[in-house]
Amino acid sequence: MAAAETTESTAREFLTDIGPKPGVKYPVDIRYCGECSMPTEYCEYYPGYERCKKWLEDNLPKEFEKLMSGKGGGDIEEEKDGEDKKKRQTRGGKGAVKAKKKLEPEGIKLATSTRGKKKKITIVTGLASYEIDLKAASKFFSNKFSCGSSISGDDEIVIQGDVKDDLFDILPEKWSIIDEESIEDLGELKK
Amino acid sequence: MFKKFEDKEMVSNVNNAKSSVQRGIRHAVLEQFPHIDDYIEQILPKKDNLKIVKCHEHIEILANSNGEAVFFRQRDGPYYPALKLIHKYPFILPHMQVDKGAIRFVLSGANIMCPGLTSPGAKMTKVDKDQIVAIMAEGKQHALAIGVTKMSTDEIISSNKGIGVDNIHYLNDGLWNMKPVK
Repeated sequence: MAAAETTESTAREFLTDIGPKPGVKYPVDIRYCGECSMPTEYCEYYPGYERCKKWLEDNLPKEFEKLMSGKGGGDIEEEKDGEDKKKRQTRGGKGAVKAKKKLEPEGIKLATSTRGKKKKITIVTGLASYEIDLKAASKFFSNKFSCGSSISGDDEIVIQGDVKDDLFDILPEKWSIIDEESIEDLGELKK
Repeated sequence: MFKKFEDKEMVSNVNNAKSSVQRGIRHAVLEQFPHIDDYIEQILPKKDNLKIVKCHEHIEILANSNGEAVFFRQRDGPYYPALKLIHKYPFILPHMQVDKGAIRFVLSGANIMCPGLTSPGAKMTKVDKDQIVAIMAEGKQHALAIGVTKMSTDEIISSNKGIGVDNIHYLNDGLWNMKPVK
């Protein structure tokens, strides 16, 4: 028994290369998928693989072709995969990798409110849904309007002074993903 | 380690390392991974400002000046390289290749079981117990996880049962998805 084991372990192949490989330039250039953020070769293990495929086709057509041809046959094999999946019981719960949810931009809401008797403040909500860094945005506002600006909630920036009219122009200018149409004026809020 | 890691909640503070601390870290990293001697200037440039991100559960992440995680460790343990670093410099760690069937489990954070390392699609580097290794996969170029061996390679072959490598950090876990720190 022991003899059999030793022969087995000597027959086994081991990876031996340790240290930088000669002829390879480091750092290795690596492309990550924009959809699942993993190296492109692992996309097939992502639940939202269909979206990955689309992203690859749009952004890295060469990689996409390579991945598809590497599978050999492409569609035929995929069908087989599908059948296999039906037979095998899929595991739910904590273990499963979940697809990331994309935040839907909800539009930006502007409002003014009063502070004291005669001072105004502007309240901007909805910036975070565009994946804008609130801290950077508040800094930008205070620079732009030379006034105080602070993050007052999860997705809320308070700017001192009434700058609502300016914001309609400045927001789409600074962040191109914001559409002027999607900015909503809530008017004056009472405290 | 990073399965339930949420960068907004778990990070308690970020500060720039003093140059003396930085020197100490460089030294410790070099001692642990002697192969990166030629590339240390690229990985942890001397002039660069190294950021130390302190997180809950005594996790400490070292980030470069772009805010990308480079190394991390728990308490006073050894330094682990982050996966993005391993992708750029794959030679830092010895490789352990798992078979195809194991990939999807590893990607959801499972520890690597011995049969996944001994089957025909798998290949191992000869290492001792408690060695930090990069988990590669059959037919793939890049690493998919960082782990620590729980048995030596010989033990894995002879017992062929149970956990062979502990999964520390894998693709799409909390650390992988961490936004660059400021």
